[in-house]
Amino acid sequence: MNDLSSPFTNAKPALWRNAYLRFVLFGLLIATLPLFSSLGLMKSSTLNYIGNVLVYAVAALGLNLLLGYAGLISLGTAGFMGLGSYIAAYIVKDMGMSFWAALVAAVLIPTLIGLLIGLISLRIEGIYLAIATLCVSEILLKSFEQADSITGGMQGKSVSYPVVFGHAFNRSSTYLMLVVVLTLVMMLTHSFVNGQKGRALHAMRGSEVAAQAMGVNLLQYRLIAFSLATAYSALSGVLYVFFVKFSYPSVWNMNLSLYVLAAVVIGGLRSIYGTVIGTFVVWAVPDLILKNLPVVGGINGLPYIFNGILIIVVVMFAPQGISGLWPLKKKKKRQQVPQQVPPSGKEAG
Amino acid sequence: MVEPLMDLTLAPQTTTRTLAEDDALRVERLSISFGGLRAVDDLSFAVKKKEIFGLIGPNGAGKTTVFNCITQFYRPDEGNVFFRTGKGDGVVNLVGRPVHSIIGLGLVRTFQNVEVIQELSLLENVLIGAHIDFKATIFEQAFKLPRARREERLFQKKAEEALAFLGIIDRRDLLAGGQPYGVLKKVELARTLMANPRLIILDEPAAGLNDSETHELASTIRQIRDAYDCTILLVEHDMRLVMGVCDRICAISFGKFLACDVPEGIKRNKLVQEAYLGEEEA
Repeated sequence: MNDLSSPFTNAKPALWRNAYLRFVLFGLLIATLPLFSSLGLMKSSTLNYIGNVLVYAVAALGLNLLLGYAGLISLGTAGFMGLGSYIAAYIVKDMGMSFWAALVAAVLIPTLIGLLIGLISLRIEGIYLAIATLCVSEILLKSFEQADSITGGMQGKSVSYPVVFGHAFNRSSTYLMLVVVLTLVMMLTHSFVNGQKGRALHAMRGSEVAAQAMGVNLLQYRLIAFSLATAYSALSGVLYVFFVKFSYPSVWNMNLSLYVLAAVVIGGLRSIYGTVIGTFVVWAVPDLILKNLPVVGGINGLPYIFNGILIIVVVMFAPQGISGLWPLKKKKKRQQVPQQVPPSGKEAG
Repeated sequence: MVEPLMDLTLAPQTTTRTLAEDDALRVERLSISFGGLRAVDDLSFAVKKKEIFGLIGPNGAGKTTVFNCITQFYRPDEGNVFFRTGKGDGVVNLVGRPVHSIIGLGLVRTFQNVEVIQELSLLENVLIGAHIDFKATIFEQAFKLPRARREERLFQKKAEEALAFLGIIDRRDLLAGGQPYGVLKKVELARTLMANPRLIILDEPAAGLNDSETHELASTIRQIRDAYDCTILLVEHDMRLVMGVCDRICAISFGKFLACDVPEGIKRNKLVQEAYLGEEEA
């Protein structure tokens, strides 16, 4: 291996050098939060907010794959989340099948639908995809309201905490399940984006002509990115319904899609931790912190104002989002090699 | 004894479906129009194996368009592009093939304005050149199964070799964004080397380089040809580079063929002189 670039990496403590170990540590960290709650150091309701953040973070990671890596935009996140939640609820409650069957079906079916929609709409780019996905999401939302027999219509659908391997979960164990799933998703996403397929997405966003010249089939990779984003959304919907124990149409509206988009932009494009932090900022900060502030806390629609202002600030002053403010990573890669004049002695020809 | 000689001299004119024994690429009666503009007009030329072949012409002569027609970024209206592929001695007509399938045949190109990915390191940029050689599925890559790890290691090593070959290995982990233009040009070159190329097409490799960098480029191009045993076709404005490095040159003007000759012959050619300097007043 080349030694010129490694001293900086070696300077880190050994534990931090392995990205996967860092994800595990991150997971362990959020897994300990219920302890604070049971010790009385944290309000029990706070745990609900954090759990929701973990749920939405999965969908946000999917959108980051699409927007950050592939450079495509979707406003259909909420629709696919809803679809995942209803399918999972229907399979567990009405069909009486296992949690695992629900999980697989509720991720696979929306992904296949997403694949079909992608096949039709991904030949066009930019704003058209956003419009197409927005339409799909609205159609799904109307279907949730109308398909009473499956979705429970406006009354919504309720389920209980999941039963996994004959083990009935309670709130804490479901919370732990969210942590495990999010950590796994973060790890898989990390490997994916740093591998060949992830680089192909990078190439597609950075330069379509270069990507094509290097053998990247644009339609194929747009489809991959779009299907993954759909799968993540559906998974997020499944987690939602098992943690919140309820799914009703008004949750799956365009606001949710825009919130997920805000989380990605605020957290930072192409940053895995950034996405999770962005999700926390968008969902938890207004409810957990801002609401308790004097005067400001009383304003109606405070979360909207907060997130709106935050997006403007981020776009104007920190296009890399919160992750761009993290100093270590940037320094390492941007660090310039001392200019040594290229060896002119190798004039062989 | 006269007959075979006749045949040989006539060979390039006839429309055979294959390539001559020592040809790597043959462009045959290529034409493409954009609206009313005939950008390339009935152009034919052949590039020999292991040759460094230059395509020159005044501004707007259609050089880059020819490249785009060869690599299928544009569909030519008429004509054929015969190419000897990397696999065996197969000859294919490139016209009509999907643009992303071209690299798999052993033809890889660079771009006039360097097309590298700013947010990736130099090493990662070069690895994109091996895109089609990865066989591991999306799941193998996400779960880092043995085959995915093996491939990543293998091609990473290859990319490091390419970077070392071009003398920029010490920058392998730096982001492409913010690197000097000369380095990015080399990254593009290194990326082409990942694809086991039979033919490399360079679109103005010296554009934006200073004198010493251009000088270095000339020897780099020769080294690539020799070390990677491939043919090189280049479009270039820098006449010193073209005349210095090319074995043969094809000159075009307004999409039409002017001459194809060794550099000395091109320099003396009346038609080429007129195209560059304007016709003599009658």
